[in-house]
Amino acid sequence: MSGIMLVDRFPKEIITVKNRILIVEDDEGIASAVALNMQFVGYDYTLFDDGRRAAESLAADHAYDLALLDIMLPGMDGFELFGYMEKYAIPVIYMTAKTDSASEIKGLRDGAEDYIVKPFDMLTLMVRIEKVLRRTGKLNTIYRVRDVEVNSETRSVTKGGEPVELQPMEFDVLLLLLKYKNLTVTREQFLAEVWGADFMGETRAIDMKIAGLRKKLDLADAIRSIPKRGYRLEDR
Amino acid sequence: MKLWQKASILCGTVLLAVVAACSALLLRYAQGSILDLARTQVAEKQRALTASFTQMTDYYLLDTDPASVRDSLVGYCFSRFADESSVLLRDSETLFTLQTLSPAEHLSPDELTDEIQVLPVRDGSQHLFIAGSRAKIGGESYAVYTVRDVSDVYRSVKTMTGVFVLISLAGVAIGTLLIILLMGRGARPMARLAAAARRIAGGDYGFRAEVSGHDEVGALAADFNTMAAAVQSRINELSDTARRQELFIGGVTHEFKTPLASMLLHVQLLRSANMSAEERDRSLARIEDQCRWLERLTQTLLKLLTLRQDVPLQPVPAAELIDQVRASSEPRLAALGVTLYTDHDGGMLLINPELMRSLLVNLVDNAAKSYDPGDPDAAVWLTVRDGALEVLDRGRGIPPEALPHIFEPFYMADKSRSKKQGGSGLGLALVQAVADAHGARLEVTSAPEKGTTVRVLLKLQDDYKKLIDSPPASVQE
Repeated sequence: MSGIMLVDRFPKEIITVKNRILIVEDDEGIASAVALNMQFVGYDYTLFDDGRRAAESLAADHAYDLALLDIMLPGMDGFELFGYMEKYAIPVIYMTAKTDSASEIKGLRDGAEDYIVKPFDMLTLMVRIEKVLRRTGKLNTIYRVRDVEVNSETRSVTKGGEPVELQPMEFDVLLLLLKYKNLTVTREQFLAEVWGADFMGETRAIDMKIAGLRKKLDLADAIRSIPKRGYRLEDR
Repeated sequence: MKLWQKASILCGTVLLAVVAACSALLLRYAQGSILDLARTQVAEKQRALTASFTQMTDYYLLDTDPASVRDSLVGYCFSRFADESSVLLRDSETLFTLQTLSPAEHLSPDELTDEIQVLPVRDGSQHLFIAGSRAKIGGESYAVYTVRDVSDVYRSVKTMTGVFVLISLAGVAIGTLLIILLMGRGARPMARLAAAARRIAGGDYGFRAEVSGHDEVGALAADFNTMAAAVQSRINELSDTARRQELFIGGVTHEFKTPLASMLLHVQLLRSANMSAEERDRSLARIEDQCRWLERLTQTLLKLLTLRQDVPLQPVPAAELIDQVRASSEPRLAALGVTLYTDHDGGMLLINPELMRSLLVNLVDNAAKSYDPGDPDAAVWLTVRDGALEVLDRGRGIPPEALPHIFEPFYMADKSRSKKQGGSGLGLALVQAVADAHGARLEVTSAPEKGTTVRVLLKLQDDYKKLIDSPPASVQE
């Protein structure tokens, strides 16, 4: 009953709230790149470069869907910080240059969701973040671009509140563009994610779906073609 | 078979042989002396017998008596003194005997003289002594024999032999047992030593053998412990070196991976993201920073690696070294707003000038960074005196818990601040390596918020002292 009340009172906020990610990383270069990436694809993030300050901040605000933790941190190391995350049930992905198996085992045994070794690929990190959010049921299923709203659960699309009919493949292409908003989705990614790894067809199939989307959703200028690489849904 | 068991068997065997030989000698001696006694007794008896009956016969016999009377009288007189052991013969005719044995068969009457002869004879199972001599009575010669059975002597020697064998065997058995016990006891420290050796070989390098007594085994155990201690300290040294190298490599890897990870992420962003021109610039600037930083790290690492080899030392005036340090440090100190004060004793230093300069520049740089930005009193003092190079600051100091680690590669007491100030974590490791290459000792004293003093104490060699006393003309000027 109260849930419905909430929806009634704040319908938009409830369904459009972005996934919040806590990043604790003391290397400015890595932190800034990861943060920028989060910002591009539409995650909210909070960044700390000190383990202790991050832990102390949790008392006031711990509404995070996920934490990305470095292990070697000033103030308090990632393993210790994990205890605080556990307290507030925040799933953890470690980002670390430590490659020895001992620390990996320790990290995972303690209950971390995942472990990513530096140097890592941004796409890999994004995929893992999505996986963890999906597993914990916190993945935001509503994506927006301009007046287009996409629900990945019900596979429904509306434009300006009006439902729009999309082919299943068009929908998958659109969802991939939305997931990696502001980042280039390569043709290889499209083929692998939408058509399946064993698809032998030509990449022109992608262009056709993109053309359909541009027309149906009036996103001709938002979906930008990046020569020789793929497409990018720009929204900033 | 164990050594102590072998020794025990050897000792037992020797003991047995000695006891057997002694027993045999003793028995033989005993038998000999008993038989000698018997022989003397026989001879004595013979003498007494002969003397007695000869005297008696001489008393009664008349020269006129015919031979038959004489024989009877001789026989009668003989029988008065004779017993079962006595035999009397004239020529081959036996005048008196109680014996079944005929002594004449063994000791012919023809061989007899006035002197008493004693002949040992064995007749079947019987051992006999036959004493014989001649007695002249009235112009006639008689053969007198005394036969003594000494079989009981042999029998008792035989019995004694048996007893001796038993006693000897018992003695040898007890002796051998004692030897085994003593040997086993004596071998126990050896066994303990062997056990200690096995335990150490098994990896328990800290284990030591028990040193008991002042004998050879005790000395051996003490020497063994000395050896074990030497081995242990060498092993510790090696594993320490290995651990340090492992840490160093781990540190290098970490230091390389972090900037690489950052660069990779920024390159990926630049390639695929919808970035504003400003964001693009920032990303590129970061990549440039990381490249420069990696370049610096590589240079430092290279320096550290070359330092593993011998470095050539030469005499350098302290003033010259200080000028070089000042020249290298000045721009950076100016940027930080830190003043450098220098002082020296005008002496000579036996150093590698480039390496010592980089050491001092490093220390001066660290000292300068110990002040908060904009501190008006920020200053660093560099002093060279009596082969000691000193860098002093009155900055924030080093926390006591960090002090033992500051020369370890990649150790940063305050990581985030060091990184912001461009520290690689290798500066002081380099300082340590340069000091090592010079055989110099590093001394650090520091108090939080009071400042830090680092002293490089050069090794004062004899020729080096001479050099200070009388600098060669070429460098004197």
